[in-house]
Formats: sequence, structure tokens, C-alpha cells
Amino acid sequence: MDFSHAAERISQKVMSHGHAVEKTAIETKLRRLVEEFGVPLAEAERTVTNELAREFSIQGLQAGGPGEGKTLDALVPGEWVTVEGKVVALASAPSPSISQTGIVADQTAAARFVVWSRASAPLLKEGNWYRFESAVVDEYRGSVTLKIHSGTTITEIPAAGTIKPVLTPVAEIRPGIVSVRGKVIQEFEATHERILQSGILADETGSVRFVTWKEEGRERLNPGTVYTIFYAMADEFNGRLSLTLNTATVISEEGDIEVSRGDARFEGAFVHLAPGSGLIKRCPVEGCNRVLSRQNYCPVHEIQPGFQYDLRIKGWLDNGVETREVLIQRAATEPLVGMTLEQAREIAENTPLGMDEVFLRFRDALLGRYFACTGREIDGRLLVQQCTPIRFQPERLTDLLNRAGGSP
Amino acid sequence: MTGGTGPSFAPRREGGFEREPARRVFAGELRESRIHFREGQDEKSPSFVLLPTGARCNRVFFVGTLTEKKKQGEQNLFYRARVVDPTGTFFVMAGSFQPDAMQQMARLDPPSFVAVVGKPSVYQTPDGAVLISVRCESITPVDRETRDLFILDCAAATLDRLEKAESTPDGARARREYAMDPAIFRKMAYEALAQLRL
Repeated sequence: MDFSHAAERISQKVMSHGHAVEKTAIETKLRRLVEEFGVPLAEAERTVTNELAREFSIQGLQAGGPGEGKTLDALVPGEWVTVEGKVVALASAPSPSISQTGIVADQTAAARFVVWSRASAPLLKEGNWYRFESAVVDEYRGSVTLKIHSGTTITEIPAAGTIKPVLTPVAEIRPGIVSVRGKVIQEFEATHERILQSGILADETGSVRFVTWKEEGRERLNPGTVYTIFYAMADEFNGRLSLTLNTATVISEEGDIEVSRGDARFEGAFVHLAPGSGLIKRCPVEGCNRVLSRQNYCPVHEIQPGFQYDLRIKGWLDNGVETREVLIQRAATEPLVGMTLEQAREIAENTPLGMDEVFLRFRDALLGRYFACTGREIDGRLLVQQCTPIRFQPERLTDLLNRAGGSP
Repeated sequence: MTGGTGPSFAPRREGGFEREPARRVFAGELRESRIHFREGQDEKSPSFVLLPTGARCNRVFFVGTLTEKKKQGEQNLFYRARVVDPTGTFFVMAGSFQPDAMQQMARLDPPSFVAVVGKPSVYQTPDGAVLISVRCESITPVDRETRDLFILDCAAATLDRLEKAESTPDGARARREYAMDPAIFRKMAYEALAQLRL
């Protein structure tokens, strides 16, 4: 094995700090680690580099060739790097072993950083520029993260210009830190008490789910409003992308943008009507709209006897090869089940089974029948704008007879 | 019974869970199935019936005529029903683990068109005969047009499976295990379609 390149790199680095070092001695150390102890060469290089750094009390000396002066768009998991950037956001630490977490940005990109408590690093301030020497690049759920550990040296540096974040089209969002401009086209019912708001953000190219967790100083976005969002965290979980806005700077914009039309289409038989379909009760508190339990309980606003009724369908369409979860709101539901909200309310109030009776009628109107649904697809779930029953077409019969009767 | 709204607060999906599609299959083909296997070691991993046309199914969907239903059992009530399509008969069961399906069954009167979603399994009777029955998740009354749509859908799916089977591992396994002539199923699809023309 050839140790001269690695030895050369190490001696160059040590010499650049003004210390003389014997290249052959370095090579001998490397050879010993690799050949006698079976250490991989890259690890051996790091060991020797660190050893020399300690010997000469050099701060922030690091192994590897291309580690110096990286820009944030060039981070590769597994590397030790030195980067300079501005702390553009700080987030609350999710665990006691983490002292700080947030986002660091330079002219090229932005990345999440994590400062371990054990690093005993100085507290970083939002808006300041720092040089991080010997940080480790890691990957967490597909997004690159800068890990700051006890071997990392942090120095505050003067601001290196103003940073203009590059806006990413929604359809091109990948896990990591992104800045986007989009319109809030839908809000979801909160599924967790820690969620301040969740919904869908869309631009011309596509749509993505977003969430804001409850935290001091965080505000809800208004549906229908366009926002420019700097430095949101894009995560992928179970194959679904989601933007977390807690670290983001959100600026509302004047005017409107064209958002991508919901033109996903799915045809199939209705194979399952899920609980929560039929006549439902919603929380009347302004801006809440959550579905109440049968006992009128809202997870946030508690008992709400002044609820509002609504109709919806939750279920599964199936084409024999794939299944698709569908969610159909009242406007599309009424013609499909042949029942208006008012009629459903009367049925619920005047029949012994109450709301269950509405559910049963929905089931008989839907299950086992064929429908074509179009709408917006989010995370494999189709938010249906239009749904029509499929009709028998004699041409299809002729085609299939030809296909089945044709020579094999 | 599942009206109302309670469960909508629950997380909507388990990690990695994917709903198994409901395969379209004619009674004449399902009747010929013999291989029933489980994918993976886990107790919860889905089990599949291998169809002679070379696809595995965990769940099936079919539409036919309910010709007979019987309530059976004393403590463990269950319904047994026969649903007929142009190629043969499906044996459908709904027991106390399918309370919704039992209640749906109770509201049906034969003869009528019904749509069934359920899970197939292969049984051996004491005298050695093999019986394929479908444990139903739902059985609902439908109209003739839905039945006709199903025949189209199922014929197309059967022909698709026959074409695909030539290049898939499940297809190879079906050829090995069943050694049946694919022409049988092509003819079955043709005859089912031909009935619609009458």
C-alpha cells in the first residue's frame, strides 16, 4: 500500500502551521496502524493527524484532502469539514444531549446544525457569522446536518456579505433546508396538541405539506395568502415530504400566485368506507373547525354543544392493482350519496340510529361501486375535487371480447 | 358499528403500512387456487393466495348474485353465503370478527346483486376436498350496472395477469405449482364477457 500521499498531506498541513515534521516518520506510523492493526487508511490518517495536532498544540487540524474551506452546498455525509456561515435560525433543542440546533447559511446553501452538549461550545447567536473548524457532516432522514462536537473550533468572524437565499420550486424540494414561495391552499385538522398549524403550501409546480409546532412567537399562516418562507426544514418521513416552519422566517406577500391544479386522477371500486365518514360535527370556535367526538369534545376547545354539522367521505378506492385513500368534502359528497347536509341532519335527528344511519346510507351508496375521482394528491392521499360514478360503456365490452377471443 | 367521528383523531397510518389491493378474480379461477402462504415471519405479515394466473392476492373484490345465505352457530354466530358469477360460485363467510359484515349480511335478501370485499383462504375439508372461502370485510347491495362493470374490470384484470405472468416470479411459481393451460382462463374471461352481450 502506498502511504506517501497521505503522509505528504499530513506533513503539508503540519508545516503550514509552522512546525517541522519528518515525512518518513509519519509514513511509518501510518504503515504500522494499517498493516499491524488493520485500521483503514482514512482512519489512520486522521489518527496520525490528531496525534501531531496534539503534539504541536495545533487547533483545528484535520485529516482528509478537501476538508478546507468548504461551502455548504458541497457537504458530503461522513466528511470532516471547515465551513463559514451565518446562523440564520435557532430552534429549541429536542434533547438534553443537544445544547443548540438551528440553521447555518452561506451564499451557496443552508444546512441544519446540531451542537452537542458535550462539545461545551459557546452559545451561538442568531445573525452572527462563525467559522466552524472540524465539524462532522452527517445525514439525518436524508438531509445533511453539520454536527458540532468537542473537537470543533468555533470562531466568530465578521459578516461576509449579505445572503440571498435561493428559492426552490415546491416540486423540487428535497430533504434539507429550503426557501420557498407559495400559497397556503389548505389547512388540516390538528392531529396533535403540539401542532399549531398544519396544511398544504403550493406554488406553480406542486404542493407540499407543512407543519408549525407550538412555540413562543410562532403564528398561524392565513389560508389563501402567499408567503415567502426562508429556511424551512424539509424532512422526509415514510416517503412523505413535509416542511417544518419553526426555524423559518416567514414573510407574507401582496398579491396572488397561480398554484398547480389538482389533476391527479384515480378510478376504481370503493372498497372501504372509513370511520369519520358521513355526518360529522365540527368545532365552532373561529379558525378551529376540528372534528368533534360523538360527545362533542374538541381536543383543544373541549365540550362544544354549539357544533356545526358537515358531510364528508373518507375511504379507499381500489383498481385491483393499487389502492388510494380518498377524502371527499361536502360539495362533492352530496351529489355522490344523493343526500344534502340538511337531509342528513334530519335523518340523524329523526331516526333511532342517529348519525350511524347516515353512515349506513353512505356505505350502501358507495361500497362496491366504481368511481372516477380527480383532485390533488398529497402523500398518497387524494383530496377529491370531483367524483363521478363510472358508467358501462359497450365499446369497452367489444374491446375486451376481441382481446380475450384473439389468438393467444 | 362505526358511525361518528371518534377515531379520526388517531394517527392516520402506521409506519410503512400499505393497504393490500383487492384483486379482481372470477369464481372459476379462485376455485382452482391451492397455494396459501405467508410473506415474512411476523405474525402480522399478510398471507396470500396464489392465483393460477400468477398473482398473489391478500384481498379480493367481486360482484355477483347472492343466491343463498345461512346463519349458523350458537355461541359463535356466523353467516355463510353463496355468491355466483358467470364462471362459478364464491363461498363467503362473515363471523363475529367481522361485525360490520355480519350486520350487512343480515340486511340482504337473496337473490340480489352484491359487491364483496374480503380475504380468501384455502381450507381442506375432513374428506380431503379443498375449499376456498372468502372471509368478507364488506358485502353491499349493488345494481346490475355495477355487476356489468365488474365483469369488464375482472376480465381485463385476468387478461392482464396472464400477460404479466410470463415475466414474474409469482407467474413462474403458478406455472410450476398449477400446471394449468392459460387458455382456460382466457376462455373463462371471454365467456363471462359474452354473457353481457345477451
